[in-house]
Amino acid sequence: MAEVKVENVTKSYGRLVAVNNVSFSCKDGEFFSILGPSGAGKTTTLELIAGIKKPDSGEIYIGDSLVNDLSPQERDVAMAFEKYSLYPHFSVYENIAFPLRAPTRKEKLSPKEERKKVEEIANLLGIGELLERRPQHLSGGQRQRVSLARAMVRRPKIYLLDEPIAHLDAKLKVSARTTLKRLADKLGITIIYVTHDYKEALALSDRILILREGRIEQIGTPEEVYLYPSSDFVGRLIGDPPINLIDGEVIKKDGKTFLKVEEEFSIQIRQALVGLTEKVAWEEDGRRRIRIGIRPTYVKVSKEKLCDTSFQLPVYAVEHKADSSIVSFELKDTFLIARTEQRVDWRMSEKVWLDFDQEHLHFFKKTVDVSKR
Amino acid sequence: MSRVDAKHIWKIYQGGVEAVKDATFHCEDGEFLAILGPSGCGKSSTLRMIAGLEEITRGELLFDGKLVNHLSPRERNIALAFETYALYAPLTIYENIAFPLKAGGLKGSEVNKKVKQIAEMLDLTDVLRRKPAHLSGGQQQRVSLARALIRDPNVSLLDEPLSHMDQRVRVVLRARIRRIHDELKDTTIYVTHDQEEAISLADRIVVMDLGVIQQMGTVDELWNQPANKFVAGFLGEPAMNFLEGRIEKPQEVSVAGGEGRASFQLSGEVEERYVGREVTLGIRPQKILVFPNNKEDKLLPSLIEVIEPLGESKILTAKLDETELKIVTSREIEAQVGQIMWLEFRPEDIHLFDKETENALIKKLDEKG
Repeated sequence: MAEVKVENVTKSYGRLVAVNNVSFSCKDGEFFSILGPSGAGKTTTLELIAGIKKPDSGEIYIGDSLVNDLSPQERDVAMAFEKYSLYPHFSVYENIAFPLRAPTRKEKLSPKEERKKVEEIANLLGIGELLERRPQHLSGGQRQRVSLARAMVRRPKIYLLDEPIAHLDAKLKVSARTTLKRLADKLGITIIYVTHDYKEALALSDRILILREGRIEQIGTPEEVYLYPSSDFVGRLIGDPPINLIDGEVIKKDGKTFLKVEEEFSIQIRQALVGLTEKVAWEEDGRRRIRIGIRPTYVKVSKEKLCDTSFQLPVYAVEHKADSSIVSFELKDTFLIARTEQRVDWRMSEKVWLDFDQEHLHFFKKTVDVSKR
Repeated sequence: MSRVDAKHIWKIYQGGVEAVKDATFHCEDGEFLAILGPSGCGKSSTLRMIAGLEEITRGELLFDGKLVNHLSPRERNIALAFETYALYAPLTIYENIAFPLKAGGLKGSEVNKKVKQIAEMLDLTDVLRRKPAHLSGGQQQRVSLARALIRDPNVSLLDEPLSHMDQRVRVVLRARIRRIHDELKDTTIYVTHDQEEAISLADRIVVMDLGVIQQMGTVDELWNQPANKFVAGFLGEPAMNFLEGRIEKPQEVSVAGGEGRASFQLSGEVEERYVGREVTLGIRPQKILVFPNNKEDKLLPSLIEVIEPLGESKILTAKLDETELKIVTSREIEAQVGQIMWLEFRPEDIHLFDKETENALIKKLDEKG
């Protein structure tokens, strides 16, 4: 077990800067996720820690030692990847035991000790019954767990997991996620976990690092990044349906402040929040504009007028969840999405009332494009 | 637009593999029907038989009451959009969309009008002059849809059209698909393995497994009255929890937990012959009520083992004796790993299934007799 410290690390491939002056530390025993879209530099970061790639500049520490010049073996890390490359002609047992038999290992295990270790991890991952089988006779989910077991059978200083459950179907993923979290809790190990799936990051992590084009966008607990996204990028990355991002002009009228989104569509901003708009506002064609963010759950919709600040829009389409609905509204530049508490059966073009729960309103600078792609 | 009737259709491949067994269903004129099931359940074979790409081994397929078994895909006048959009790379988006019309020999001005109309609907007006390579994945998908929908087909058949799209793009694309359907009122049959997608789009859903239709109905019907354990477990995520129960009275089931058993009332009743017998009790993760303390000795104790926050909600994994349960609660509910939480099931949320046949057991009281 050990702490991992990354200090001012940069890595380029030709002219592309994959990891750009990144610093963070992952504590001993922490489940630390790196979240971002593809191309954000997640895997490169992991490979730098593993020693598969060398940084152009910056330092990497594992425990107290600077490891920049150490080989992957010397760093004593275990890795598991999305693509499980199991040995097809070996049994599950032999696949899992393989790292224990590596010739570079100093300590040699007796067959009995080896069996004990393999069985222990296999049982924890729920594949104890499959040890004598061959990989080709296993389901995708089972193979994934064998691959994880192989990564985790040793007790290295840290575990580096790269999208280890990414390609499982939705149902298997939910159970694999739980298995992984249970295992991490039980073993108290240090895990750095790369994923593009915000649900995995929220569900598993103690803390999450969000990467964007090689740079750190935010580091925080699952609650922090969900409730207090530092940018529109983070807001958009976390949550489904994604957070609504709406741009508009700040207008003062009769002592009240409005966000004018379109000619016929303005939203009143509560007085207490007006200060927040100042920090993020930008000038465009001589107008002061801001971007607001609101999650679909906090867009209230109703057939009746809700309160003074309510506004009306025609329904674009209604989709259903089992016990709620997703109602979309077409704005000039984007779609506004609301999630209702109960199923509703509104027709297209029908006018309904909306209101934003301003407790949950975010104000952002504009850094991502949300046009109607 | 047409009504589609499938009557006792079978697909038996060479070597005797029965991909579709005796499927009978219909899709009303203008209806949005989803065919849902896991891979290998027979849904794509069914779609291909409707499209005319696959011969119907036995049974009858009718469009508006007319037998179409022996008609070619073209004669059936169906529109097809598949998961992989094959756009013609050297042609512009306009030409891609116009292609089926030109092939059909329509006049230039008519073609122009129709392309503009469908492009408007799918928000493609600005990209009509571009080549496919310069479009985002979502835009390409929409071009593929536009090309399928432009011909006023009798039936639109969509085979997993969204399955490889980014989750974030899907919400908007689903809204668009639903909107186009609402505007064109076209008869749409939509094949998917994704229960969430079927629920979100369809007026009715046909659930298939192992080549056999398990149930068909509205989302409400499938969700609240699943006909069997398969349907109950397939719809919803995390999946419905299944545990051992015992019928105490026709309107009461008990579950073992901790020192004793907790009894729960049912919203309907089961046949007298089940009294005293073990059954499978199903309860959705979202429907389990959790309390920090027992209530008049009536609740079930469970040990919280894992907590997974997901933003608004969180998933608890809890052990009830040896059974593992998933519980979805709101973000505000306080719970700790290692804590005992007490569980309650409300009558309307309890599903019961026969242990052998796996068929649903509860009959609504007003349905009796």
